[in-house]
Amino acid sequence: MRVVLLSTLLLGIPALAAAGTPLGIFSDSGHDAQEISRLIALFGGVSIAVVVLIALLLASSIWHRRPADTSGGRPQRDEGGLPWIYWGVGISAVVLLICMLFNLGTIAAVARTPDDAAITVQVTAHQWWWEVEYQDPDSHKDFLSANEIHIPAGEKVRILLSSADVIHSFWVPSLAGKMDVIPGQTNVTWVQADQPGTYRGECAVFCGAEHARMEFRVVAQTPKDFEAWKVHQLEDAPQPQDATTLRGRLAFESRCAACHTLRGSSAAGMAGPDLTHLMDRSTLAAGTLPNDMGHLADWIRNPQKQKPGTGMPKVPVSEADLAAIVAYLRTTH
Amino acid sequence: MNARPMYLLSVMISAALACTACGKSQGGAQAEPSPAPQDHSFSTPLGQRAGTGDSPEVLSTPNPYEGSKEAAREGQQIYLAMNCTTCHAYDGSGNQGPPLNDTRWRYGGLPIQVFNSIHDGRPQGMPSWKDKLTDDQIWKLVTYVESFGGTFPASDWQHAPQGDVENENEAPEAQGQFMTPVPGTVPPPAPATKPPR
Amino acid sequence: MPPISPSHARDRIVVSLFPFFAVLITGLAQAAPTPSPAGASFPTPAPAPTSASIPHKSVTGATLNFAPNEPNGQWQSEAHDWANTRYSDLNQVNESNVAHLKIAWTFSNNTKYGQEAAPLVVDGTMYIVTPFPDDLYALDLTKPGNPIKWKFEANPSPMGIGKACCDVVVRGLAYADGLVIYNLLDDHTVAVSAKTGKQVWRTKMGNVQSGETMTMSPFVVKDKVYAGDSGGEMGVRGWLAALDVKTGKELWRAYATGSDKDVKLGPDFHPFYKWMQGKDLGVTSWPRDMWKHGAGASWGWVSYDPETNLIFYGTSNPGPRVPAERPGDNLWTSTIFARDADTGEAKWAYQFTPHDQWDYDGVNENLLMDLPMDGKVRKVLVHLDRNAFAYTMDRTTGEVLSAQPFAYQNWSSGIDLKTGRPVVIPKMQPKPNIALKVCPPDIGGKDWQPAAVSPRTGLVYADHFNLCMQVTDKVVGYIPSTPYDGMDMGRYPAPGGNLGAFMAWNPVTGKKVWEIPEKYMTMSGVLATAGDVVFYGTADGWFRAVDAWSGKVLWSQKLGSGIIGQPMTYLGPDGRQYIAITAGVGGASKVRIDTNLMDKVGFPAGGDTTYVFSVDGISANSSGPGMIETPGQGIKSIPGPLPPSSPPPPDYDKHKATAPPPGTRRQP
Repeated sequence: MRVVLLSTLLLGIPALAAAGTPLGIFSDSGHDAQEISRLIALFGGVSIAVVVLIALLLASSIWHRRPADTSGGRPQRDEGGLPWIYWGVGISAVVLLICMLFNLGTIAAVARTPDDAAITVQVTAHQWWWEVEYQDPDSHKDFLSANEIHIPAGEKVRILLSSADVIHSFWVPSLAGKMDVIPGQTNVTWVQADQPGTYRGECAVFCGAEHARMEFRVVAQTPKDFEAWKVHQLEDAPQPQDATTLRGRLAFESRCAACHTLRGSSAAGMAGPDLTHLMDRSTLAAGTLPNDMGHLADWIRNPQKQKPGTGMPKVPVSEADLAAIVAYLRTTH
Repeated sequence: MNARPMYLLSVMISAALACTACGKSQGGAQAEPSPAPQDHSFSTPLGQRAGTGDSPEVLSTPNPYEGSKEAAREGQQIYLAMNCTTCHAYDGSGNQGPPLNDTRWRYGGLPIQVFNSIHDGRPQGMPSWKDKLTDDQIWKLVTYVESFGGTFPASDWQHAPQGDVENENEAPEAQGQFMTPVPGTVPPPAPATKPPR
Repeated sequence: MPPISPSHARDRIVVSLFPFFAVLITGLAQAAPTPSPAGASFPTPAPAPTSASIPHKSVTGATLNFAPNEPNGQWQSEAHDWANTRYSDLNQVNESNVAHLKIAWTFSNNTKYGQEAAPLVVDGTMYIVTPFPDDLYALDLTKPGNPIKWKFEANPSPMGIGKACCDVVVRGLAYADGLVIYNLLDDHTVAVSAKTGKQVWRTKMGNVQSGETMTMSPFVVKDKVYAGDSGGEMGVRGWLAALDVKTGKELWRAYATGSDKDVKLGPDFHPFYKWMQGKDLGVTSWPRDMWKHGAGASWGWVSYDPETNLIFYGTSNPGPRVPAERPGDNLWTSTIFARDADTGEAKWAYQFTPHDQWDYDGVNENLLMDLPMDGKVRKVLVHLDRNAFAYTMDRTTGEVLSAQPFAYQNWSSGIDLKTGRPVVIPKMQPKPNIALKVCPPDIGGKDWQPAAVSPRTGLVYADHFNLCMQVTDKVVGYIPSTPYDGMDMGRYPAPGGNLGAFMAWNPVTGKKVWEIPEKYMTMSGVLATAGDVVFYGTADGWFRAVDAWSGKVLWSQKLGSGIIGQPMTYLGPDGRQYIAITAGVGGASKVRIDTNLMDKVGFPAGGDTTYVFSVDGISANSSGPGMIETPGQGIKSIPGPLPPSSPPPPDYDKHKATAPPPGTRRQP
């Protein structure tokens, strides 16, 4: 009895708590997520109904228990149990059939990648950040970003997933189900966000020390805003306007260019994220830190302290150079 | 319900949690293990090959990541990311740069000498990495280069420049050190050994 | 001729009559079934193959233009003429006596890298350029022992050693107006006085610290020198520049990537095929700004057509060598340009391998000729590309007339002549981190080693590879002065097991006429001669002479090191024909070889020796009886008799071969 009450509470609390949180699986805003949460609701409902029914039957059988045994131990045959079995199996079969059909329908709706995706985004998972590449038939309009995927709201977006090292998993709970990212092959998934907004994503397969700090964001915008964003992303970072930002760019090219790309400077490394429009992103280091000046300086000063084991080393940099680099990076809108 | 299994279970869980809170060897807060390479402004003894003109206490500088497979793995990541692969080949057999897997070293094959070559660059086209990589990363690269099998251990600091190999005879006149170091500044010479794989 | 004292004058007159009698008697003896030499003092030649069995009519009817018509018996440029024929009129060495070739003299240049240049011979002086440190020697061929007249030490920066992908080679010299001109590894072009060996001018063309080097042989047309950079694997920006011959000042520079202005594509530019028509394709066919490090270096050969005043040259692969990083056609890499020789403005271009995914540079030589095709005489160029296809193209418009594979390849099912594009087999496209086996390898079906063409047979002669590669691409970033590459690769033999082969190619039908498979790689230039003998060398050191008609190997000589250079021939001051080749293996043949291949191949160690051959090894000033110098009396040598020349084929007209078809000559 206690077990039953406990499990109901345990099931209910997270479900109640999840509604309304960024990773809530019930706050669905995308086509896939709606299908899946419908399925969760059905299965959940069926499960709860079954549990309640069994609990009621159990309760009634305890309440209406037989009187104490006065017959001297001779077993009595009790007729009339078969109908229970027939009804039970019958109802269960029908309910399970319905669930199975619903399940297949959901899978069909979710798994088939539509051919008419408006855009294709190539996402490469690294330990522990997300590389995002927007492909365009006109290769000149191809560009790179990191940890933030912008999509036009209301349209289907195809996502090609590949991994640069180990198995990760791409999961935006509000929009779609999980899709593993496996090295050596390209998996395809798709998302569609109904409304503009920001949706949080997570890596959903343990992938190393900083697996917990491998968030990303999917930002859905109106198609007009999205086009404007794309045009903006193709631009280079602005040229330095004063001595500090110039010093920052030089220091950046000297210390950071081996790993980072920042169009507008000579930096073209590929080991770390593209920083050309760093200031347009809402977080740093794949969701580890908010994107503001103080945190940026802290991050550059000692990334190993913020995210131990991350690929970015603690590059010794004087405070003056650090301030200059931060000043330069702040211009990367 | 029997309470004992529950108590045992909770004790085990808390014990496991406690262990994970201890510093892990990998990915945990990394101490700064690299001794900053010492000041190299010693006078150069004559007769030494290029790159070996440092004093004994410098030459015998050990690799802080000596023998660490983890450091070699991270060094390999850096080797790939910094484009060392095209010049020195993916397996260290050399290309437009010299091979790293044989025992011929233009500028010395002791750990500190390999470190210096990466750190400072060299005249025939080896870039200088001191601005782009931390000392720590360069030591990891040295560890990876050591895994190719062509370097000499730091303990070989007085034998390597003389071309000594294992299993060689020594004529009586050739024994001993050529340059006498200042007493107390250098570890006693140890027999040459290969680093663990 | 070495100076002969008056007391020998009578002997000299008598001796000089011998060739006349030899030719007379030999000509008469041809009527007899077994020709025998007349005169006891002649060396006995091997019995000649009977002429009846060898066709004497040109197979293709090709006519060549040998402008600028170097003086007979000299070799004043690497390609011997603007059309890049590498064909010599000399016929003293021919099928009747080539088996008697022996070393007449040698010269070692004291360097340890790959020897890729052919020596030049101008007015009795031989010029030999070495790989790094790019020294230049002038040998006086008129004096006994061919002593060094002067040596020019260019002293280039050693930084280039670590930047050159494929050995620190120099692919040759150019001669013009008393200057010997060549490119240094550290991006300087230098002109040295041919007489004194002093530097006349030196021009800095690039910055070696960025990864850019120069290895190609400059090309001279009248008053201009054309030079280009190397560095397809270093993320450089490719270019070809024109310098003034007298002063070395740069006149113009045409890039291989970037805006139309940078690439010098103006209103006169009319590419034949669609994908090359558009604005600023050198920018828009690349993602973002990757064209800035897109390579397209011009490290190969340049040809020139005096009738149209166009130069032809090719550009290298795109960078990085990982195609997944650079979607798009990546113009203008792996492309041949036809540019106005004076202004540099392009007239047409053709990209051999759009979006090159396998490092198939387009820099190989272009042989210019006029070919009768389908009843008309077409002005064509013949180009055997790295991508294993041999192209015969209209050199006035850039149209591809024929494109057939000449080496084993499995990346493409053919070139679609309608669209001009190769049809790529989808699974032969490398993807990052996935190993792929594809043929040919990065060095292609044939690399820079230049082919030759003979106007007598009408065939193109070339040596090529029979190799494949297993490649795994790894994503790379651009870090200045480091490679921008990403190909993890090992090579292995293609089906057949032979690593190389030497062939005669018919550019009209697009078929091999004959082929000699070679156990080891063949990476040498080819020399064609009027003696109907063609020469080539192998990477393990065999130098061979082959019958130009039948492909029969007439003579082979093992040299001190592998041969990756270019053979040449000249007439010595003693009137004798010599053939010279510098042997010293290196270059791309030693680079990135799969270890198993290396064991099988057994490359020889490096070398640095120029070998000069003559019939029986006789040379009036360097080989033979006597020749010891007596103080006060100079050197006594007994000049030997000259070997008889072979008669030309019945319907061969030398003058017809050198004149352009009537009505088409343009005043230069």
